[in-house]
Amino acid sequence: MMQAEVTPAAVALVGLLAALFLHDLVSLQRNRRLLLVQLAVFAGGAWLIVYPEVARRLAHFVGIGRGVDFVLYPLVIWLVRESLLSRRRRHEEQERVTELVRAFATSGAHELDGEASAAAHSSKRAPAHSAAVAASCTE
Amino acid sequence: MRIAVLMPAFNEEGRLASTLQELAAALGHVGPAEETRACVFLVDDGSVPPIDEATVRAAAKGLRIVIARHAVNLGQGAALETARRLALEPRWQPEEGPFEAFVTMDSDGQHRGSDVLALALAIAAGADVALGDRFAGGSEVPASRRALLAFARAFERATTGLRLSDVHNGLRAFGPRAIPRMRIRQNRMAHATEISRSISRASAERASDDQLRVVEVPVSVLYTGESLAKGQRASGAVTIVVDLFHGFLFGGNR
Repeated sequence: MMQAEVTPAAVALVGLLAALFLHDLVSLQRNRRLLLVQLAVFAGGAWLIVYPEVARRLAHFVGIGRGVDFVLYPLVIWLVRESLLSRRRRHEEQERVTELVRAFATSGAHELDGEASAAAHSSKRAPAHSAAVAASCTE
Repeated sequence: MRIAVLMPAFNEEGRLASTLQELAAALGHVGPAEETRACVFLVDDGSVPPIDEATVRAAAKGLRIVIARHAVNLGQGAALETARRLALEPRWQPEEGPFEAFVTMDSDGQHRGSDVLALALAIAAGADVALGDRFAGGSEVPASRRALLAFARAFERATTGLRLSDVHNGLRAFGPRAIPRMRIRQNRMAHATEISRSISRASAERASDDQLRVVEVPVSVLYTGESLAKGQRASGAVTIVVDLFHGFLFGGNR
């Protein structure tokens, strides 16, 4: 049977996982499904930390030198992809916000009255021309 | 001549009023034989506090002003694009006919009103795009700025193929043939490179009917302590390159 390897590093890492989970348990109380998934992933991680032989054997089986690398390689690939996708999401989000703010700006666009009436109503706003805007927003 | 001035503004305070005053002085005093009608499309890019309309009205005597406000700050590129779309809307066209020249300028007082007219006249003389060239115009460009602009020029040549002497000058004029093709998708400072690229592509079109004629016109750029402090720093170049890369990656079909 495989031996549990309780090194100071293993204790610290498992302790960190437990602390994070406890923190999320309090702050994410309402997201029970999310908590369950997190618990499963963290438990898997803790298992691999305490029994590194599992990852080591799997790594050797597929031809990777170290057990840690067996976990790290897919993780790095996943993180790089995640970072690219989130950048793209942010970019698209920004484009949407831009068009929204612009539509609002064009619908509120107005011509300032001439000098004569300037003093009379200095901060009066002209009404929005919503019909014209609706026509102009289509590209 | 009917000129549309596209002017983004963000927290310019007093500089905006003096810019408008000078512009009104330059465009208002043209003889009746050569009547100039200018309309400024002023886009307040989320200034805090918002641009005061009474101040604008008082400063821009004799100029038509159409003002629009972004609810939040988006960036100079986005504000220019909003101004460009407004200037193309039928409801703001002058009664005498559509605009003949579209001039973009900064609102912080570094561009001269007389240069706006010079660029518009270049368009009237048959150019589709007229670009301000501050190095030929006798501006006192600070050394740090010169180095940054030399770098920008080299970058522009490498990426757009456009051989211009002053690539990142905000003072530009477009004719009616050119302006619909200058859509800006870069919200922040990378829009200058984007415009150069659009110009480059449009000036190299196969069909001669689609080709744009580009000229450079000497202009002067006035550097003040305030405009330098608010303006671009060298670190901004990194942001621009990152923005361009994001546009390249995620921009889709342009």
